[in-house]
Amino acid sequence: MPIGTTDTPMPAAQAQRPPVTPLSRGRAVLASEWIKLRSLRSLWTTALAGFGFSVGLSFLVCSSFQSRWHTLGAQAQAHFHPIDISLGFLQITSLFFGALGALVVTTEYGTGEIRGTFVATPQRPLVLAAKALLLGLLGFGLALVTVSAAFLLGQSRLSGAVPHASLADPRAAGAVLGGALYLTLTALLGLFLGVLVRSTAIAISALFGVFTVLPVLVNNLPKGLVWRHTVPYLPSNLGFSLWHSHIEFLVRPMPAGSTLALYVIVTAGAGLALLRTRDG
Amino acid sequence: MNAHTVQTVPAERRYGLRARLRATARSEWVKLWSVRSAPAVLEATAVVIVVGALVLSSGYRSGWASLSASERAAFDPTYTSLRGIELAQLFVGALGVLAVTSEYGTGLIRATLAATPQRTQVLVVKGLVLGAVVWVVSTASSFGAFALGQRLFTGPMPHAALGDPGVLRAVLGGGLYLTLIVLFGTALGALSRSTPLGLAALFGVLLVLPLMVNLLPGSLADRILPYLPGEAGAQVWHVMPPSPRSLGPWQGFALFALYVVVSAGAVLRLTRRRDV
Repeated sequence: MPIGTTDTPMPAAQAQRPPVTPLSRGRAVLASEWIKLRSLRSLWTTALAGFGFSVGLSFLVCSSFQSRWHTLGAQAQAHFHPIDISLGFLQITSLFFGALGALVVTTEYGTGEIRGTFVATPQRPLVLAAKALLLGLLGFGLALVTVSAAFLLGQSRLSGAVPHASLADPRAAGAVLGGALYLTLTALLGLFLGVLVRSTAIAISALFGVFTVLPVLVNNLPKGLVWRHTVPYLPSNLGFSLWHSHIEFLVRPMPAGSTLALYVIVTAGAGLALLRTRDG
Repeated sequence: MNAHTVQTVPAERRYGLRARLRATARSEWVKLWSVRSAPAVLEATAVVIVVGALVLSSGYRSGWASLSASERAAFDPTYTSLRGIELAQLFVGALGVLAVTSEYGTGLIRATLAATPQRTQVLVVKGLVLGAVVWVVSTASSFGAFALGQRLFTGPMPHAALGDPGVLRAVLGGGLYLTLIVLFGTALGALSRSTPLGLAALFGVLLVLPLMVNLLPGSLADRILPYLPGEAGAQVWHVMPPSPRSLGPWQGFALFALYVVVSAGAVLRLTRRRDV
């Protein structure tokens, strides 16, 4: 309340303010985190780039299968699965969503804004919870739009002799939903990874390492005992279980989803522990 | 001899091209080693190459019995022991990108270019210093990884010796490949001047492009894949070509070098025009 517009002395004005309850603080933190989230330009460019990339790749892949269908051998035709083919972009789109989550917090560390945030709300776990909640909701919305649009555009390219699927097919709807869930969990993983490393460069390199290099490196190793107990639990392979129909040696979709969620929770716990003990 | 010539003669000697190159190289050397990240990244590179050999070679060793005859025939012991390079290229590439972008991020670039207004020279010397350091570290690590891997391939498994055809070339190729990766990263960092953009561009080209191409129908993917920068460059550290369409080791390496030269050329042209 500006001084001079009222006769009430300052102490009385302060006394009139409603007391801070956990609920009102939570609402205030959510409001300020939402402002920061929505005004972060790199978040929206990343989301837009991820959308364009996914839709474009699905279009390209399905179009080239449509135009080259007659040149494929009988075996390749028999193995063709329209849902898996049009959702293949998910292997790469996870990078965009991971980066999106990491940027939410690493940009704040980069600019030093994080200090202002923690001065305003010294309850650091509350800040992180608000970020995670908003990112989870926003991320799921973006993921669902991206995956459905890419799926629909891809399927629209497949016609004639080429098998195609529609969202009315429960398997297709399940795969799209599973893909969206995978991307959302990846975004949350990126957020907590960002809290751990506090640097955009390290977070992005780590995401590329975990989601694109590790699977290429170990997926084709001989499938011995050690392989069966480790490789299927890579985040990218758990994601694969969520949207792909042909998972062979990998984990079933339900346990895969919960394992991925467990990773998010463990990373969140580690981030929280560091956040409470570290300066800034 | 008047005062004028007394001043100019030593000045020319002091600021000649060779002296300036030496001074630039020294300042780039100081900049590389005075941030904590560079030694840490180089150590991580060496560790990842050697640990990669350990993990992958023991993976094949323990699962050898379950492989089919065709998988056994396609097994390349040299390449398998060197595959830590695939992970190491992340570290080395990030080192190259950050060598430029972190200067832009902190504003140090202004001091650098005020001290040496010959911008082309700064970038070339930076590349040479980084390339030399990375070549030494990654060549030594490749030899270590090769030796470790071959020790693990025992019994019925084929193993390679440095005297076998193509093996020495592949082990040396590991160091050469990573040297080109750091130069590629430097060029893309200088083009983008932004850490996230530079990293995304480098890793996008090296790691995401092959994944994208693999989604295409088989015949189309086979035709495009050999010409991608990472795939072409990697041929130099393969002993057996991964597919019949793969380029030869030096052919592929030359193509990758061409990609790097083209991006470096673009940077050198742009860097003289752009404001800092």
